[in-house]
Parts: sequence; structure tokens; C-alpha cells
Amino acid sequence: MADNPRPLHDKVWSKLDRKATAILELTLRQYRTRLSTWAVLSVGVILVLITVLFYIEAMSSEIPAVDNDGDSFDSDGDGYPDGQENLLGTSINNANSHPGLFDPPIPPDSAEDWINEDGYDFSSANLDVSQGYDDDGDCRVKIGEVGWSSWVDENRNYISCDYFFEMQGLDLVVDSDPNVDEDPDEDAFFKETLHRSFVLGFGKIGFVFVLGIFVPLFLASGLIRDEISDGTLHYLVAKPISRAEILLYRLLGYIALVWPYFIALAIITGTITGFMGPSSGFFRFQDLLVWFGIALAACLLSLAYAALFMTMGTIHKYGMVAAIVFGVWEFAMAMLSIFEPEATVSRLSISHWGMVIVDGFSNMAWPDSQYIIALGESTSQYSTTPWGERMYSDEMPGTDAFSSFFHTTHLTGNPLQDALISCGVLISMVIIMLVIAQSVFKNQEID
Amino acid sequence: MIPDIAQSGPAVGQWQPQPEVPAVMLDHVSKWYGNIIGMNDISLAISGGVTGLLGPNGAGKSTLFKILAGKLKPSQGTVRLFGTDPWKNTAPFARIGYVSENDALYDWMTALGFVTTLARLYGYTREEARVKAERVLEFVDLKDVMNKEIGKFSKGMRQRVKIAHALVNDPELIILDEPLQGCDPLARTTIMNVIRELGAMGRTVIVSSHILEEIERITEQIVILNHGRLLALGNVHAIRDMLDAHPHSIALSTDQPRELGKAFLDHKEVFGVHFPVEGKLIIRTHNLGALHADLPRLITDSGITVTAIDNPDDNLESILNYLTGGSD
Repeated sequence: MADNPRPLHDKVWSKLDRKATAILELTLRQYRTRLSTWAVLSVGVILVLITVLFYIEAMSSEIPAVDNDGDSFDSDGDGYPDGQENLLGTSINNANSHPGLFDPPIPPDSAEDWINEDGYDFSSANLDVSQGYDDDGDCRVKIGEVGWSSWVDENRNYISCDYFFEMQGLDLVVDSDPNVDEDPDEDAFFKETLHRSFVLGFGKIGFVFVLGIFVPLFLASGLIRDEISDGTLHYLVAKPISRAEILLYRLLGYIALVWPYFIALAIITGTITGFMGPSSGFFRFQDLLVWFGIALAACLLSLAYAALFMTMGTIHKYGMVAAIVFGVWEFAMAMLSIFEPEATVSRLSISHWGMVIVDGFSNMAWPDSQYIIALGESTSQYSTTPWGERMYSDEMPGTDAFSSFFHTTHLTGNPLQDALISCGVLISMVIIMLVIAQSVFKNQEID
Repeated sequence: MIPDIAQSGPAVGQWQPQPEVPAVMLDHVSKWYGNIIGMNDISLAISGGVTGLLGPNGAGKSTLFKILAGKLKPSQGTVRLFGTDPWKNTAPFARIGYVSENDALYDWMTALGFVTTLARLYGYTREEARVKAERVLEFVDLKDVMNKEIGKFSKGMRQRVKIAHALVNDPELIILDEPLQGCDPLARTTIMNVIRELGAMGRTVIVSSHILEEIERITEQIVILNHGRLLALGNVHAIRDMLDAHPHSIALSTDQPRELGKAFLDHKEVFGVHFPVEGKLIIRTHNLGALHADLPRLITDSGITVTAIDNPDDNLESILNYLTGGSD
């Protein structure tokens, strides 16, 4: 019949339009008339808004600055902080030796200038070589005094006053010369890490997992089951339409409601945190990639759960009992994926793959994250100052939270590949679930 | 299966009706629910005209219809709709309309929206579906309320919405499960007229009821089911004639039953009277027609007030009783 080709629009689109959109529209209108739909969706919005309020609260509070290297102190009481005296070569222990006696005299700095005076200077390019710049000069001044020595090259890379990152086992650590980037701005560091922790933690737990499992639990498990219990399923099945199609189109109706919802929530949260978050410009554009990953993970995860819950509801009217047991397992695996990402048992769950998608996109958006964590941890140590004092400082505030939520991806090592593999796994799960559902539903008697 | 990407191949899979086969064919069909038998070895072929499916509650009428509608699978035997097994291929449903006994509808939809949406499942476009829906809603006399929500409809209107939905694909086989149940007399008349009209249009209509009188007003061709078995199949008059040879009774309510009984004892067709309860008189006869003809005269001659006349035998139970030889 090559001489009589059937027009494509009549075969593909119009046929799809007739049956698929009829069920899709029916499903959407059914959602619209149900109070539970509005309740579930509003609870989701309220949860998101409350969490964002906590975020705004945290962002508008200030972390007190800590003088990690103690050089804002004026040991000899001559009005010049130790850091300034040390830089200019006067004695920190002799009140009669200070830069005010120079010609011309140099006025004293205020003590605040020597708090948070040596921030992190590392460039994302060439992260494996020499990093850091000694802003306050407390390392460089030693070069003038002693030339190259073990004093200014403790890390033995033949470069004075720098540091480099190295892997110790699975941990990235900083090997630093003394007094380089040792007194960064706690508030700026905390806000940056807190922001990223919030995006990741809220994205993974609140968005991807909690909304991703509860929305389909309430909205998808009844897609077929409610029709059976209401006695209205025969309006759909006693028609020249295969039952697999009904399942598929019902799920499409679910997608048409839930995906825009998740995407809208991600856009709202991403916009608020993008403007509120610490940024050199007016908006954190690099976060958009993370929010894209979160929305993608939430959409795919909620689809996989929807297919699963719909299948459970189709197989048995008490399938929801199994769904709740399953939900506990998923919760445990989600937590394991977040806090113990190396564990492989969590790969048997659905939620794990959503987390890997978020991890993949956060690695792409914030490639410096693991270095920030290593630097934040590196301040937690004893160090010997050039003038012989040993002092201890805590790790930077926010490091702990950030290292809990940020993970380098470890499936292939390439974040994009990992995210794509996870998407593939979730989509395969949906397909497998639909195959199972239709093979049950196909032979199912309806009372 | 290789996808026909160029869309130029033969139109494969197009289901073709087989004109020589009956619309409905059941071959030794049985259905068990666990240990309970819903249908017991029923063989039946129906094609053309209106067929009344008669049986008391629990006789297996709905089971039979659910099997025809593809809701239930027969435990044994084969079911063919237009020659096709509905569990293997849903294509015959394009020519079937099914009205369930279940009253559930999408109450939040308008009648027009409901019928249009479901019509699209037959493969009609949005516009085609709307035109067809309006047409069938007019046919069942609901056109003026078709934009109202179904939830606000009366029972009779809901039944008609269900019938309209079943007619929207212009079906050749229409299955109506208890369409008259719970309807007011006006709705009953409308629905009966619709069914008769469909029969006159040459459609195959199967309609079930547990009330003989309803079925008699619709059709002469009946199938009687009881306890999942096929009891009788044929013309309702033939079955009625058989019944006439069977003793009948007439119940009269009056305040002087014994005096009235004396007046009836003289009639030649009466072979017994008895008084089951106070104020009630039962007259036994072999010829119901003759006695009915004389009944008004006998009552006026006796001068006794009769408050009600009833034919306790003129119902399905007595037919079933007769057909099963009184064993039930």
C-alpha cells in the first residue's frame, strides 16, 4: 500500500490525542475535584516555605569573627597589633619597638584589621598544584628574614608560603606552609557553606525524598485502585483500549500535575535562595544547575514511586500496606545515601538514584566544594606561629554540615555520567514497574 | 514488531467484524467465586432484537453481564463477542455499549463532559465526541440538563446518563444491567421507550431485570436465569400460557372476608378460598382470566367493600416456582 500512505498526523498525533489526552484530562480534572490533591500540594508548599524561612533567618544572622592566628592581640601594649609589628619587623614584646618610631611614622592599624585578614586564596584552575596567598605577610616576612627554610616550606614542595591539596585515603586534605590563608572570614565561609548545605540538604531530604515519596503516595496510589473501589473503572476498561494504555495515560495525567508542581517549587526556592545567598554578583547563577538537578531528581523519583504505588494499588486493594513498609526501607536507604554514600546496599533502593542525580549536578555546579571542605577542616589544628607560640583553632563553622551533604560522585567519577546513569536507572525502574502493572492489570477481574 | 516509521505500510491490526457470528456467544460458561457458583454451564447465543434477561436477585444476571463486559473472566467455557474473546482483544468493545448495575458515575462531571470524555476512548476526536454525546443525550431526553453536574441528577437521570454513555459509539450490542432499578415511573417509561426504539433500530439489546412486568413491557424474547442456571429461553407469552394451566390465586383485602368468600364459592372457576390473616381473603383458581372478568361483578353484587386486589402469583417467583417444579 505504498501508493496510499497514511498521513502521519492521522496515525500518531490524532490517535494519541483521542485516547491519551481523554484519559489524561480526566485524570487531571479528577485531581482538581479532590480535596486531597489540594491538601497534599499545599502541605508541600508550606513545608518548602517554612524551610526557606529558616534559611533566610540563618542567612541574615552573623557569625562572630574569630582571630584564628591571634595576631590582632597587642602583646607589648604599644598600640600596634602583633600582626602589624611582625610584618614591619618591630618587636612584639618590646613596647619601645614599634612602627610609630619609623621615619615617617606609620600609624597603628586597628585590632579588627588583623582579624579575618588572611582569607582563602585558591583558584579552581590547577587545583593540584601550589595554592594560597599569604595576605597578611606573616609567612612572607620570614622569607626576607631567613630565605628559604623549613620555616616557610613545611610542606616540602620547594615553594615557600603556599599549600596544596592531597588525597589521604579517601579524604582530601590540605598540606600547608605555616600562616598561609590561616585566618579567613568565618562569616563569609559559614554563609557559603551553609548556603550550599541548605540547597543540598533541603534538596535531597525535603525535596527529592520527602516530597518525592509523599506526593506519589497520596496522588498516584489511587490512580487505578480508587477507580476499582469507586466502581467507575469499567467506564475506562470496557472500551476498545488496551489496559496497558490506561495505566500509561493515567500515569501521564499524574505527570502533568506533579512535574510542573515540582519544577515550580524548585524555581521558587532556587530564586529566593539565589538572591538571598552569598554572591559576588546579585544572583547565584551557578546554583541553577543544582536546582535543575534537584527538580530532575524529584520528577524522576516521584515518577518511579508513582509507578510503584500505582502498581501496588492495582495488584491488591491493600497494596498500600506494602507501600508503607517499602517507604520505611526507602527512607533508610535515602538517609544512607546521604550520610554514607559509599554504601552499595542503598543502590537497591529508588531514593538512592535521586540522591546521585543531585550529587552529580552539585559536583558540576560547585567543583570547588571538596576543596572548601578540606580548607575548612584544615583550620582545625595546632599550628606554631613564627614567634614560637602553639595555638589551636577549630574547624571553620559550617564545614561539618557541608561535608555531610556534599559528596563527590563515585559511580564513574564523572558527575555528568553518574547523573545520566541514575536517570537511566530510574526510567528503567518506571518501565519495569509498568510492565509488571500491566501484566497484572491485563488479566485482572473487576467487580 | 517493527515500528512503521514511514507510516506507509498496510493498515495491519484493523479489527474486522465477522458478520456471520452472533453478537454474543457463550459456550458452556461457568463462573465460580471461590466455592460459590455464580454461573453454571450456560450456553447461549444472542443476535438482534431486545432480549430480556430475567431472574431473581443473585440468579447470575450481573455475573453474565460482567463476563460480557470483560469485567470478569469465565472460570470455564468460552465467551465470544462478535466472534472475539474480549480478554484477548478489546476491539469488539468498539461495537458494544455497557450499562453497569453499579450506580457510580463521575459525579463532578457534567453529563455532556462525561459522555464526551468517554466517547473519546472510542477514538473519536474531541469535536466528533462532543457532537455524538449531544446526540445521545438528546436521545435519552437529557439535552436540556446536559451541562449540569451528574451529582445533582436524580436516580432516573443518572441511569439515562449511563445509557447515553453506552450509546455514544453507536453500538450494535447494548448490554443494560437493571436499567430500571430505582427509577421513578416517568424515567421508567422513558428508558423503556429508548430500549424499544433501539430494538426497532435493529440493535442487539440485552436488558436484565428481576421484575417480569418490566421485561414484558419491553420485549417478548426472554431468558430466565435462576441460581446461575439457564431455566428457560423463548417467548414470554409461551411461558405465560404454560402458567395459566397452573393454579393461581387472587388476594382481596376487606373487613368482611368470610362473607365475601361465600360469594366467590359459587363461581365455577374457584376451587378454594382461605383466610391467611385477619381482613384478607385468598381465592384459588385455574383460570385467572375468567375470574378476573367476573371479579368486579361479584364484588358489587356482594355489597362488601374491597380495599385492595392483588395477584400474588403474577410475578417472577411463581414462574420460577413453576419452572423448577415447585422444588424451590
